[in-house]
Amino acid sequence: MNAGAFESPGPSGPLIRIEDLWKTYEMGAEKIHALRGVHLTIDTNEYVAIMGPSGSGKSTLMNLIGCLDTPSRGDYYLRGFKVSDLGDDELARIRNREIGFVFQSFHLLARASALKNVELPLIYSGLPAAARREQALQALRETDLEDRASHRPNELSGGQRQRVAIARALVTRPSLLLADEPTGNLDSATSSEIMDLFDRLHAEGKAVVVVTHEREIALRARRIVTIHDGRVSADLPAARATELLGAAT
Amino acid sequence: MDLLEGLRIALGSLIANPLRSFLTLLGVIIGVAAIISVVAVINGLNLYVQEKIIFLGPGTFEVSRFGIITNHKQFLEAIRRNRDLRLADAEAIRERSPLAEKVAVKVYGMGDVRYRGQSVRSTTLKGITHEILQIEQYELDSGRVIVEDDCDRAAAVAFLGADIAEELFGSIDPVGKEIKIQGRSFEVVGVGARRGSVFGQSRDNYVLLPISTYQKIYGSRATISIVVRVADPRDLEVAMDEARAVLRARHHRRYDEPDDFGFVSAEALNNLWKDMSRMIFQVALFVVGISLVVGGIVIMNIMLVSVIERTREIGLRKATGARHRDIRRQFLLESVVLAASGGLIGVAIAYLLTLAIRAFSPLPAAFPWWAPALALAISSAVGIFFGLYPAAKAARLNPIEALRSEA
Ligand SMILES: Nc1ncnc2c1ncn2[C@@H]1O[C@H](COP(=O)(O)OP(=O)(O)O)[C@@H](O)[C@H]1O
Ligand SMILES: [Mg+2]
Repeated sequence: MNAGAFESPGPSGPLIRIEDLWKTYEMGAEKIHALRGVHLTIDTNEYVAIMGPSGSGKSTLMNLIGCLDTPSRGDYYLRGFKVSDLGDDELARIRNREIGFVFQSFHLLARASALKNVELPLIYSGLPAAARREQALQALRETDLEDRASHRPNELSGGQRQRVAIARALVTRPSLLLADEPTGNLDSATSSEIMDLFDRLHAEGKAVVVVTHEREIALRARRIVTIHDGRVSADLPAARATELLGAAT
Repeated sequence: MDLLEGLRIALGSLIANPLRSFLTLLGVIIGVAAIISVVAVINGLNLYVQEKIIFLGPGTFEVSRFGIITNHKQFLEAIRRNRDLRLADAEAIRERSPLAEKVAVKVYGMGDVRYRGQSVRSTTLKGITHEILQIEQYELDSGRVIVEDDCDRAAAVAFLGADIAEELFGSIDPVGKEIKIQGRSFEVVGVGARRGSVFGQSRDNYVLLPISTYQKIYGSRATISIVVRVADPRDLEVAMDEARAVLRARHHRRYDEPDDFGFVSAEALNNLWKDMSRMIFQVALFVVGISLVVGGIVIMNIMLVSVIERTREIGLRKATGARHRDIRRQFLLESVVLAASGGLIGVAIAYLLTLAIRAFSPLPAAFPWWAPALALAISSAVGIFFGLYPAAKAARLNPIEALRSEA
């Protein structure tokens, strides 16, 4: 393991390069191919929506991009580094510093305040307590939740919870934000607020990848990737996709 | 992740389930409390034994028919082999052992003592030569002690222990009064100062008579004990050898036959006590070892439950940047904090027990500073050992599978 390798100015290129990625789940004797050879390249500061029917492999792909899971076959390069070559320390570092992940079901620690939840990644960045608190408060400020810092998740609305989760995702200043159906559990007004937040983070220079079912949400992106049956079936600029989607409905 | 944060997480999750934590710790609590209490009791017994039971001074030994008998087999052998000791044996030692500075004799019996209407039944009667009073601890309360002349004349005099004096005479001064022992008249010449009790047995429950007088009443068939004092305690061993040679010659023991008498010395009593306390300690250690292992297994079990319950939390921590070793450390720390708090509670309970023993028994029970330190170290080690597997299990979890788990 070579903890410094990822940071060194070694290989570069696109932010994300995925070549022929497969993910197969073995359920007893049965094999489920969640991904069947995905090719995908995403650059820094892109804004990509991933769409596709339920069960098509969107979450599986996002988890692989987020270094939360390992593929069965194929290669994934993050900033030119082959992820399968990285050890646990480096993967942990990437999850901590390079990527912010937002889940559909928020995944907050129930017993911890909003502030403590946002501080969580910073604990693993090795920051001292005072600096942790300062940065976590700053992230809560950016998601407009400073006045809820001491509240626990069960004292917050769904939209507020997702904003805590977003604050947690951006507190370590990652360059890539991944969100797997971040508005899936929210009503449309709240969804729109959350997406405004993603728009802003994209404007600030982050690459944003959002999985969604909803057209209006996908249309905020600059590029829409559609997945069918574990493969990329369409990959178009949002403007073109609109026409196609429009035609389909 | 820093240690402080880890401790905070660990304590947080312990306090979240106080009853479960306590039950989990029962084994460790009992183990630690038991071992410290045993150390405290043995320590107290040590002092007690040194002070009260080992009545022989460092320069004194006793020869008697049985010496120190520690088991039934020894007893049966001694009964078959050993002969009663006689006054003549003591005389021989006095004459032929140059190192024996003083040779005293005592013999025990039981008898009823009466003063007018009052009587004390079956009290200890001791026939002694006057040197006994110079070797053993008999402080004078009033009157005088038994002197050489009393023994020479077989005078009908008695020296009373404080309990007997009180029971027979109440507040009257017994000195000069006449008492009856087994129907014969004796003059009380003195009363001993109070010596207190050992293991609840009073040590002031005696009547001393000149040995010559004693033998006039009871005959000279009972075996005697010979108490020998040397001038310099360093000569004790040699003096014992001298006495041994004298007695073996008198008893016509062949060189390949064992002694037909026994020795008691402070050192031998000490060794006996050390053997006994070591045995008590070993038994305790065994019991404690078992309860710690059981306690450790319970801790491991509860840590495994905790890992399962918190699978999603572990997944989340990993997803946000926790390394294998951060998770392992968190759970190890938790297991150590768990076990060490058990140790701490155990120390507290042992402390209370020790206080209770001091308050309700004559034992000066106390544990040395290292006992709780060692107990804490051991319980922490139990925590580490039995936390290793659950911690490794937690650390190995795949982040996304952990996050998606239903628990
Ligand atoms: N852990 C798993 N074990 C077995 N099958 C899985 C697992 N995760 C996902 N799948 C299967 O893989 C396929 C893709 O799932 P997923 O990526 O969650 O789809 P989407 O997010 O597009 O709805 C589905 O058929 C799903 O049942
Ligand atoms: Mg999904």
